[in-house]
Amino acid sequence: MADINPLAPAMPLAIDPEIGGPPTAPIGGVPPRAGRPAVRFGRLGPTLVLILCAIFFIAPLLTLARYALQNVPTIRLGASTMFDKWSLSGLTKAFSDKQFGPTLRLSLKLALGTVTLTLALLLPTAIWVHMRLPRMRAVIEFVTVLPYVIPAIALVAGIVVVKPHARWFLDSDYSLVPFYVILALPFTYRSIDAGLRSIDLKTLVDASRSLGAGWGTTLRRALVPNLRTAIISSAFLTTAVVLGEFTIASTLLKNTLPTFQATYVKREPQGGYGLNLLALVATTGLFALLTVATRKRGSRKVKSALTDPAMAETMAFAGITRSQQGR
Amino acid sequence: MTGLLYISVRKTFGPTVALESLDLDVREGELISLLGPSGCGKTTALRIAAGFEFADSGAVTVGGADITRKPAHKRNMGMVFQSYSLFPNLSVNMNVDFGLRTRKIAAPERRKRVADMLELVQLGGMGERYPHQLSGGQQQRVALARALAIRPSVLLLDEPLSALDAKVRLALRDEIRRIQTELGITTLLVTHDQEEALGIADRVGVMSSGRLEQLAAPSEIYSRPASAFVARFVGSMNELAGTVRGPDAVDVGGQTIMTPSALTRNTGDSVVFLGRPEDVAVRDSDQPGLAGTVTATTFQGASTVVGVRLDVLDTLIHAHLNSSTASHLRAGQRVSVEIDGARAVLESAGAASPVPVDALA
Repeated sequence: MADINPLAPAMPLAIDPEIGGPPTAPIGGVPPRAGRPAVRFGRLGPTLVLILCAIFFIAPLLTLARYALQNVPTIRLGASTMFDKWSLSGLTKAFSDKQFGPTLRLSLKLALGTVTLTLALLLPTAIWVHMRLPRMRAVIEFVTVLPYVIPAIALVAGIVVVKPHARWFLDSDYSLVPFYVILALPFTYRSIDAGLRSIDLKTLVDASRSLGAGWGTTLRRALVPNLRTAIISSAFLTTAVVLGEFTIASTLLKNTLPTFQATYVKREPQGGYGLNLLALVATTGLFALLTVATRKRGSRKVKSALTDPAMAETMAFAGITRSQQGR
Repeated sequence: MTGLLYISVRKTFGPTVALESLDLDVREGELISLLGPSGCGKTTALRIAAGFEFADSGAVTVGGADITRKPAHKRNMGMVFQSYSLFPNLSVNMNVDFGLRTRKIAAPERRKRVADMLELVQLGGMGERYPHQLSGGQQQRVALARALAIRPSVLLLDEPLSALDAKVRLALRDEIRRIQTELGITTLLVTHDQEEALGIADRVGVMSSGRLEQLAAPSEIYSRPASAFVARFVGSMNELAGTVRGPDAVDVGGQTIMTPSALTRNTGDSVVFLGRPEDVAVRDSDQPGLAGTVTATTFQGASTVVGVRLDVLDTLIHAHLNSSTASHLRAGQRVSVEIDGARAVLESAGAASPVPVDALA
């Protein structure tokens, strides 16, 4: 359902024009080498895989879109009705539901709070680990993956036990923030870690400090600008987690966007699925926008999240997870 | 007075002793290079001066003021690193400006200093470029400008040339020396490249396993090494087994070589005789000396390296000869070798070689 998949928009972009070209017409004036046909057939394989992957990702989305946005009975959704009665009425109905506005606002606030807390905790910690405890990196990486390995329901069981004693805290809507920080940790830590690995951290810190900058200035002027992609992608992944988390929010009786979606989809399936589709499109759109925005002018070495292999790895990891979580 | 002084500085990392007890006086305006194999403690010494590491005991002073416990950003040190350390997100101008901004210097003064510094390292007009648009040599020039812009009391250079290719390295080495002399700035350079250390410095400190083995002018390091380690590490050495025959004589393969280095030895001691290849003369086989056979000649332009296998000790020694002198020598030719012991060093036979094999190459 709401499998917000950050990998999906990367797929079409990942098709290298050179690989994608028909094997009979090599690009760039490279003469076809008759003696080595293996090279040319070798290109066909990857292209085929990419096309299949694209279909695998896009076909379900297309069917979802048809179900949500076409006012045609499900039984009659076929090739012949492809262009019939497209309409946003299901969506507008969902928007006008009196619960939609408040739950969306709460989820966005939670996302903002989670991103802020995550960065405030994670950035200094990850930098410290890289600088001073490089041997601990494997251990910390393992620890940060735990929230992914341990099912959310186990965390919920713990919360239920603690709940009577911590009402003062759990009654607030924002009590979800720490849980979301933990849930997002496998993705956020990896993203920041990948960013730190891609820069010469120690030298940049030493250089900055020898020029008279304290830790604060060093972080602000020498590190954060060079970790821009990592920070933005970790913020994006955190947002994706917050906008998709149902179990804990539901247990703690909070009215977030995902809990609203879950109830609404039962009441109004068409509008509900439309909402899920919109959430997916909006998050990927936001991500694409941020990717473009992070490509700074004049400095082509500043990696965008889509071209940085370490970042792509994190994204793929997150993508798999999101689709597994799909409720 | 902005000399840099190490007083009995000791530093350990767990069980590893990085610096045993370093005493080093970098005088005002002087350039000292610390030379040694990796792990000898030279980089640790530099990082302690920079404030990136702190001494376990001992003290570091600059211009008489104790800075031992001062954090890095409060010391006034200009540092150039081995790897490219420019901030990739900042233009050349902003990189050079970085230290000036942290010092809250007024904008017009900053602009002037940035321009002056880039002029000094001959990169005027490159200010708007970004680090990735510069070559390695240019990046290191910017790093130097950035370090000098803050008008540091001491300039610290951590293998600044080792990432560059040979030609650029040589040009930048001369450039660093020119700027250093021009500004009269106290400078400590760390390197594992002996040519670099000897070529640039007023004095060279040779380090080994956390100890300063010798601190002297480059020519003295080369011609009068204080220890067998220094002798082996700086330049190349022929090693021959010998026996001390008197206060100024050593017997090598039946030939007596006059050498002042025998003074501290007892007659009859077994020693290893270490002599420079330049101090080996190769003559026709009817001349007096150690008989041997030429194994190979390697033409190197002005000089030629001649390998000779000695009959008596079955040892291979090398001679650096003038190419014109060596032109008649062919592999397989019988020759007579004479060794000048004036600059030789003796080591007790059986002493373990402290130099790793790769450092001898």
